Amino acid sequence: MGWAMTVPSRLRSPNPHLGAYYGIVTSALASLVIILAMFEQLGWGRAALAQSMILVPLGLYLFIAFGARTYLPEDFFVSGRRVPSVYNGFVLAAITIGGVGFLGYTGTAFFLGFDALAIGLGWAVGMLAAGILFVPYLRKTGAYTLPSFLGHRFRSRLLRAAASAMQLPPTALLLAVEIKIAALIAALFLPVSFAVAVIAVAAFIAAVAILGGMRSVTWAGSAEFLVGAIGLVVVVTVVSILLTSLPAPQLVYGGMFADLHKAEVTAGAVPLQPDAFAMALPGPGLQPALKPFLQPFGILGPTDFLLLFLSLALGTAALPSLLARSGVTAHVEAQRHSTGWALLFVAAFAMTVPAMATFVKLIIFREIALTPVSSLPAWLTGLSDMGLLQIADANGDGAIGAAELWIKRDFVLFALPQVAGLPYVLTMLMATSALAIALAASASHLFTLSASLAEDLYRTFAGRHALPRLVAVWAAIAAAAIAAAVFLVIAEIDPLQAALTAFGFAAATFFPSLLLAIWWRRASKWGVLAAMATGFLVMTAYAIFGGMIEIFGAPLSAPLASLAGALLAFITGIAVSYFTHAPSRAEAEYREAMRNPEGESIYDRAQMRAAAAASAAAAATSEQQPAAEPSSTESST
Amino acid sequence: MAPEIPDDGDPVHRHQIQTLILAVGILLVTLVAAILPVAALAWFNQFGFLQFPLAFYLLAQGFLFFIVVIAFWFIRVQERIDLARAESEEWVGR
Repeated sequence: MGWAMTVPSRLRSPNPHLGAYYGIVTSALASLVIILAMFEQLGWGRAALAQSMILVPLGLYLFIAFGARTYLPEDFFVSGRRVPSVYNGFVLAAITIGGVGFLGYTGTAFFLGFDALAIGLGWAVGMLAAGILFVPYLRKTGAYTLPSFLGHRFRSRLLRAAASAMQLPPTALLLAVEIKIAALIAALFLPVSFAVAVIAVAAFIAAVAILGGMRSVTWAGSAEFLVGAIGLVVVVTVVSILLTSLPAPQLVYGGMFADLHKAEVTAGAVPLQPDAFAMALPGPGLQPALKPFLQPFGILGPTDFLLLFLSLALGTAALPSLLARSGVTAHVEAQRHSTGWALLFVAAFAMTVPAMATFVKLIIFREIALTPVSSLPAWLTGLSDMGLLQIADANGDGAIGAAELWIKRDFVLFALPQVAGLPYVLTMLMATSALAIALAASASHLFTLSASLAEDLYRTFAGRHALPRLVAVWAAIAAAAIAAAVFLVIAEIDPLQAALTAFGFAAATFFPSLLLAIWWRRASKWGVLAAMATGFLVMTAYAIFGGMIEIFGAPLSAPLASLAGALLAFITGIAVSYFTHAPSRAEAEYREAMRNPEGESIYDRAQMRAAAAASAAAAATSEQQPAAEPSSTESST
Repeated sequence: MAPEIPDDGDPVHRHQIQTLILAVGILLVTLVAAILPVAALAWFNQFGFLQFPLAFYLLAQGFLFFIVVIAFWFIRVQERIDLARAESEEWVGR
């Protein structure tokens, strides 16, 4: 265990040079952008700019991950429990938003306008709920994974293994989604096919996770979050200055609603009527944006809006990849601060997305809608060539209306710098930002999944013939990365729908069971297991039969299934807990220790006791040996 | 065996009750604050703020500002509750 086990986590100080290191990362990114902007003016081609802008930051992340390599279990699984709150907040925010949020939420806001706000609200409330309900208690237990927390809480290997198996679908789905987003970006801007990009991304995140586990995922992820945030802020602020002369996009885009409404009306966008429970979110392919931006409940009705919001809130609060990071800070208060910082970053992103969607929609509709086909803007050719946008004068009136303008949801963000007439290097900055967030999220999902498979399933049941601890996790990381890559090459998934299903799995499976395990004194092992199984089965039934089940004439949606599953799981957990044995004294004592915010984590205390007992036994053995030696000598003589 | 239920004067029990009330209170207020603009959208949209329709502003920004502030307020209050427990336990220990 080394020094990490001997020094209480509360007394461990973080690296004092962290600020300098990440200052260097930020300066390196700024320098790269400035140099490439100059080269663009000097005539560098788009391909060279794209390759430099994507590959140089990738090298930087890999360098950081290499610098954070470790063989110490406590560093590998919980980053030595000395990650400062802000840096943990960086990675938590990157996991919550992810590449799918970065691109998918912006695209959804472009198509749905007001109705898309449910997504940002869900993430933010989920982060708040996690910080209040779960995170401080998981930090106090010090468990390395979410299933191991449940296993220790109820003294049950069965519960631990079941939780590990049930966290597989949400984590694996999110892993696949984030790899797909990263691969789509790479295939769009680099001269590689989608399949090659998927393999390269999977290999990259596997390398990051294998080098230092949670430690390298944390430090590379912090750099990736910074790159993502800086890229987004720079581009959207520049566009805001161009459009409004003010560098505060979140505050000024309200002033554009009148112009946007006029452009939408001119283009023929008319108010729509939602189908109840239809949850008609935009798909990943080319499609027209027919709903006026400000119209409330035009595609998602009020019920669908609230269902989406609540499902994402519960799913975010109980997301295994987020909760797995509950042990990386020095103490309980630091962990609470982490979720506070993460909430701040997520909220800032959620506030910025509608501003970006407004900017893109205003420029596109103002410059294309009802413009004669013969005099369309020059940037249209670039976007058409990249396959992001398509127009067709279907009615032959010589102009383009809203129904004749087709855009891809996940690439709306990349259209912003191009339609605003910014240098190509800023389009690449946006692409690098989205790629960075997708890589940070996918590496975290990969590590969470693999650590749980190795620790909670394999090593729990393999017995004394198990592989060494880190070797088992390395093998699990490699296997999970290969499986995700093969799945993505074979299967076609919509990242946004898959992410909603994953959040739904987390909401139905883990939210009720964690609520009972942490907050209810009477919760029993069987009650929590029944709650998890009920939620999981409801979501599995949705995943298999969802298209065949209809609610008020609309197919069952993931948010509705997840909330129904969470409610059923909660009721089942309470009922089964009442009909089974009351918790044992050991379980009650563990719960009381978990609720006490003071002192060292329960896991670390147990490790220290075990280490002390081992050294005492070793000392006793060495004391007995000199006494035994003369007798052996005597017997030999 | 069922766990023992501590009495009301016990600092542990007081800490847990205060923590529970704070958690439930904040989550309820947050939920109401999120649902209110959705439920009374037409009424809110009679008003404007920073050139936004008010319901849109509340859901796009106002509510997010609110929960960030309430999250950091929660951290502060919870730390005080935790500190009170630690001091009480130390006092009882002496």
